[in-house]
Amino acid sequence: MSLVNVTNVTKEFANGEETIRPLDGVSLSIDEGDFISLMGASGSGKSTLLNLIAGIDQVTSGQIEVAGTDITKLSRGKLADWRARHIGYIFQTHNLIPVLTAYENVELPLLLLPMSAAERRKRVEIALEAVDLTSRASHYPRQMSGGQEQRVGIARAIVANPTVVVADEPTGSLDDETTEQILHLLERVNNELGMTLLLVTHEADVGARAKRQIRLEHSHLFEQGKEIKTAQLRMA
Amino acid sequence: MLSQRFLPWDYGVRNLFRRPMRSALTLGGLTIVILLVLVVVGFIRGLEKSLSATGNPHVVLVYSLSSAADVENSSIPARTPSLISASVEGVSRQQGVEFVSPELYLGTRISTANMTEPGMGLVRGVTTTAALVRDHVQLVEGTWPQTGEVMVGRLAHSKLGADEEDLAIGQQVTFDGQTWTISGHFTAAGSAFESEIWAPLADLQTTLKRQDLSLVAVRMDSPDAIADVDLFCRERIDLELKAVSESAYYASLQKHYKPVRMLGWLVVALVAGSGIFAGLNTMYGAVVGRIRELATLQAIGFRRRAILLTLIQEATLLACAGALVACVVGLFLVDGAAVRFTMGAFMLKVDSVGIAIACGVAVLLGFVGALPPAVKAMRMPVVEAIKSI
Ligand SMILES: Nc1ncnc2c1ncn2[C@@H]1O[C@H](COP(=O)(O)OP(=O)(O)OP(=O)(O)O)[C@@H](O)[C@H]1O
Ligand SMILES: [Mg+2]
Repeated sequence: MSLVNVTNVTKEFANGEETIRPLDGVSLSIDEGDFISLMGASGSGKSTLLNLIAGIDQVTSGQIEVAGTDITKLSRGKLADWRARHIGYIFQTHNLIPVLTAYENVELPLLLLPMSAAERRKRVEIALEAVDLTSRASHYPRQMSGGQEQRVGIARAIVANPTVVVADEPTGSLDDETTEQILHLLERVNNELGMTLLLVTHEADVGARAKRQIRLEHSHLFEQGKEIKTAQLRMA
Repeated sequence: MLSQRFLPWDYGVRNLFRRPMRSALTLGGLTIVILLVLVVVGFIRGLEKSLSATGNPHVVLVYSLSSAADVENSSIPARTPSLISASVEGVSRQQGVEFVSPELYLGTRISTANMTEPGMGLVRGVTTTAALVRDHVQLVEGTWPQTGEVMVGRLAHSKLGADEEDLAIGQQVTFDGQTWTISGHFTAAGSAFESEIWAPLADLQTTLKRQDLSLVAVRMDSPDAIADVDLFCRERIDLELKAVSESAYYASLQKHYKPVRMLGWLVVALVAGSGIFAGLNTMYGAVVGRIRELATLQAIGFRRRAILLTLIQEATLLACAGALVACVVGLFLVDGAAVRFTMGAFMLKVDSVGIAIACGVAVLLGFVGALPPAVKAMRMPVVEAIKSI
């Protein structure tokens, strides 16, 4: 049994008269410690799939199981609690809270988990050290560069030791050098901290850094040129 | 250990300083609204207090049957006081003095030395027994008036529209063709008497060329004894008297002012309503600029309830700060300010009730102002909100 099992998931959007179906019965399994990149043309549905796995969107049909929980069956409130425990979300534009310092931004997800203040402090310090921003702990987002902000965003995503870390175009708004920094950091998160990573990108060279590369084309998923089928999954 | 699940208190507080100018303007608006509420409630409370403090359940007023509820129009025979003392049991007495106060009461034009135009004032002709019956009347300065003298209540100048110095001891006032020297100042526990001018009864009668009285105020040993006075008035049909307990008399006046009070409450509601729009406006601005941030909080795992709470916290904090400023300003500027009114003057009262109402309005403003924009933001699907700018 894999860590994440996406089974036969279809997602439709009603757009006036017509229906858009970016995901048409897709399946995917992610193992613990995987580093997967999800690529595809703009508008192909990459973000849609990522958001479904992250539990902030609802499937039209199908099943998504994460660490044994079918999240398509959870109520909205329960799903929020579940996200706090299992998902670390890295956004394209970092989405830091402007009135909170780097330290407080990173601490935010921990407020949702049962732990002592001392434990919280220890975890925030470790996360900030992992992204090499210990010296910026008391800075506000507006006092940091884009790359630093994104690193705080990564620290915030990993601080609660989530089951899966998802990243939607995390380098989309950064220059080449900073992109390299962030990718290197993500590789370390995967290799050294052993976290499971799902990275959405439309840049081939960024996607190539992942251990597994998945393409989303015409509402179906492909790995190494072959479509991923439910049947294969079942046999595996 | 339980997880906190709520956003840090600081988050709400710091958000207020994000747009300091907007927060400051809203604070100003809310302060004015709450101050207005405080003034109107102060007006209503002051009016109520002046009327309720005036009625003493031990005191019965005897005046003419034909004068409706207005003692100014009443005329009763000068012998009424002695008839009452002779015929009714239960009148308070001390060292041979009966607590029966014959009084002549009228509204008249009064001018002071510095007034260009005379103002309408209230004059009461009294004997020394008045002090026994109206025992909350206290001479605070000077002496009881002798012939040609008057004493004035502490709000009499407001009622007249005169300066306070014009009614200082030794100053003179003129009414009904006679000039009177002020001999003293009195208070009356916030009751309606405080806007009156008291003159010696005999003097006033001479000036007015009247031998009759307006009323007799009698203090009874117990409130029940008032029934005996009432019985006396009913039996002596020839005198055409009626007896009303002083508290009932002022209660009926209070009823008279009910429309004014209703109007006051209506103003409170309207002012508070307009304040809600100020709050709404700010919170809409605050929320609209923060859709993505609020969605991020949801993506991290904060429940919508927690986010709703922090938005309400922000607005309520601002409104409460407004209430605080308004109450401080109110206590210094509004409390005790005198208001002229047809039946006399009274003071605006910023008391615990007024402050409680003002704070209640503030909380309501924050809550009701924050709720619609917050709910609107929470209705938006997280995936959509997270993409917004
Ligand atoms: N809320 C929505 N309502 C209607 N259509 C939507 C909605 N969200 C997404 N879509 C459509 O679904 C498709 C997939 O969108 P998605 O954002 O997943 O694409 P993407 O692969 O992430 O694209 P990009 O690389 O540009 O970010 C698009 O055609 C988009 O127009
Ligand atoms: Mg996308």
